[in-house]
Amino acid sequence: MPDRVSRLPSTPTDLLRFRWPIFIALCCLIPFVVSDVWVQMLVFVGLFVILGLGLNVVVGFAGLLDLGYVAFFAAGAYTMGLLTSPGSPIDAHLSFWLILPLGILIASLVGLLLGLPVLPLRGDYLAIVTLGFGEIIRLFLINRDDLTRGSQGLSAIPRPELFGYEIDSFTRWYYFIIAAAVAVAFCTARLRDSRIGRAWEAIREDEDVAAAMGVNTTKYKLLAFATGAAIGGLGGVIYASFIGFISPAAFSLQVSIDVLAIVIIGGMGSTPGVIVGSLILIGVPRILQFRETSDLLANFGWLRDALNALLGAIDAVLPGSIGRLPAAETWGARLADDTRFIIFGALLVLVMVLRPSGLWPSSRRRLEFAHDEPPAPVNAP
Amino acid sequence: MPLLEVRDLRAGYGAIIAVKGISLDVNEGEIVTLIGSNGAGKSTTLRAISGVIRPRGGQVTFAGQRIDRLQPHAIVRLGLSHVPEGRGIFHSLSVYENLLMGAYTRDDAIQADLERVYHLFPRLKERLDQPGGTLSGGEQQMLAIGRALMARPRLLLLDEPSMGLSPVLVETIFETIQAIRREGATVLLVEQNALMALEIADRAYVIESGEITLSGTGPALSRDDAVRRAYLGEA
Repeated sequence: MPDRVSRLPSTPTDLLRFRWPIFIALCCLIPFVVSDVWVQMLVFVGLFVILGLGLNVVVGFAGLLDLGYVAFFAAGAYTMGLLTSPGSPIDAHLSFWLILPLGILIASLVGLLLGLPVLPLRGDYLAIVTLGFGEIIRLFLINRDDLTRGSQGLSAIPRPELFGYEIDSFTRWYYFIIAAAVAVAFCTARLRDSRIGRAWEAIREDEDVAAAMGVNTTKYKLLAFATGAAIGGLGGVIYASFIGFISPAAFSLQVSIDVLAIVIIGGMGSTPGVIVGSLILIGVPRILQFRETSDLLANFGWLRDALNALLGAIDAVLPGSIGRLPAAETWGARLADDTRFIIFGALLVLVMVLRPSGLWPSSRRRLEFAHDEPPAPVNAP
Repeated sequence: MPLLEVRDLRAGYGAIIAVKGISLDVNEGEIVTLIGSNGAGKSTTLRAISGVIRPRGGQVTFAGQRIDRLQPHAIVRLGLSHVPEGRGIFHSLSVYENLLMGAYTRDDAIQADLERVYHLFPRLKERLDQPGGTLSGGEQQMLAIGRALMARPRLLLLDEPSMGLSPVLVETIFETIQAIRREGATVLLVEQNALMALEIADRAYVIESGEITLSGTGPALSRDDAVRRAYLGEA
């Protein structure tokens, strides 16, 4: 059946042939030109690329709105923490490379644990239950302190060794995380273009019709949860080892929301979208915190003065309604601390208004949004 | 023995019982139509037969096998395809991929079936790479039927194929349904367009408020006074 294969849109081999190798090679050069804080920032971006790609399978491919994705991230991280932290009651001194598959397995089991009870749920109801599930896992980690050491957390989690080198510097972590993200991106792209991917796409569009086509919706929905969870678990294992310390506070609802925002802002179902989304949602807030950024912003005193004049004018009409921007020399630092979330939130709203399909939508989704506008002529013979 | 045997089927949604114990038979090679007004339970009957909703009671036997407790994907594998109301085209999948979805349960060669669908609906062949959502209403209906045929069904359930189409297109669709029957498939057709449905049907059932009130051959029902008054728009 050569026909069947040749017509699939952008097969992974096509994609990987030129665009991706160039992009990956460019990424590998970055540590040679930027300072350590930038590399550290990019490690976090890479970690969230992995998480975003995982959630993309659940939300972007299968259309299952999961607001508790942090649970799988936590499952991976605590697998690593519990089995390697000297403070853990079940420390087993296992190697990172042994825990990696174990963490992925445990996370995907947690995924099935969530998936089974929510199978009949759709849309908003699914979102609410998964939201609760994420919180349950976090509360479990806090309250079962005999096992997890509760809020004290688990520290001194060891780092992986590869070919005799300990992955200890930011640069080494950076390459490590690129390798992991590429592997995950490759796997999810292959899944998307497979028979499984088409079943997910059908379920996302219309679950009843998918079932009427002969798709075993139960099986494929569970598979989507388990696959997404496995990737979340992988991210968790890497995160625990990179940070070296985990506590329940790191696995709050905010993580689920960040990852979901990455997927939506970037463009659901799209791999480049996840990368762009992570850079914006994870990278930009960190860049705003850099000393260099503060120093840079401090140069724009004239902009501050202009804004202050404007605010003063508003104040004259509506006395006391609005404050003034802080002094020029502290503006950058203050901006980074106080107002960055406001600016950031406004930017996100703007992105969604201007580009509802995301910054870099998948080719499928681009068509879907594009063709929503001109109504198809009815009854053209 | 009929190909499809429905006995005392009950189905509904939540507290609403839309189908209150109906029985009907479809014999191999027949076109059978189920006519009735809006909300009479036509679509619910089809959905319960194909397993998209779980029947509340009664028995459904297809080709000698009980199917009323089976999952929809298992029912498709037995050779029963359902073209849902509103066509259910996957908008973001291309026309070709929609056809592939129809063959989801198959693991043998499907090229011959693709050719057959192209032959029935030449327009689809011209639009293979177009997303399903960009087709016109009539083309979407053709795609929905073509997609269902890709599973090589013994029995095809068609839910309101004429809905929202111009009279010319309705004519085309009904001709296709007859062509499909000539090629060996059996058809259970649900329609509000009773006139057209009775014209091509061997036998027909009239459903009212979830119950079968009349049945007979197509021509006999189209002569029936009650049917003429209620569904054929005659005073």
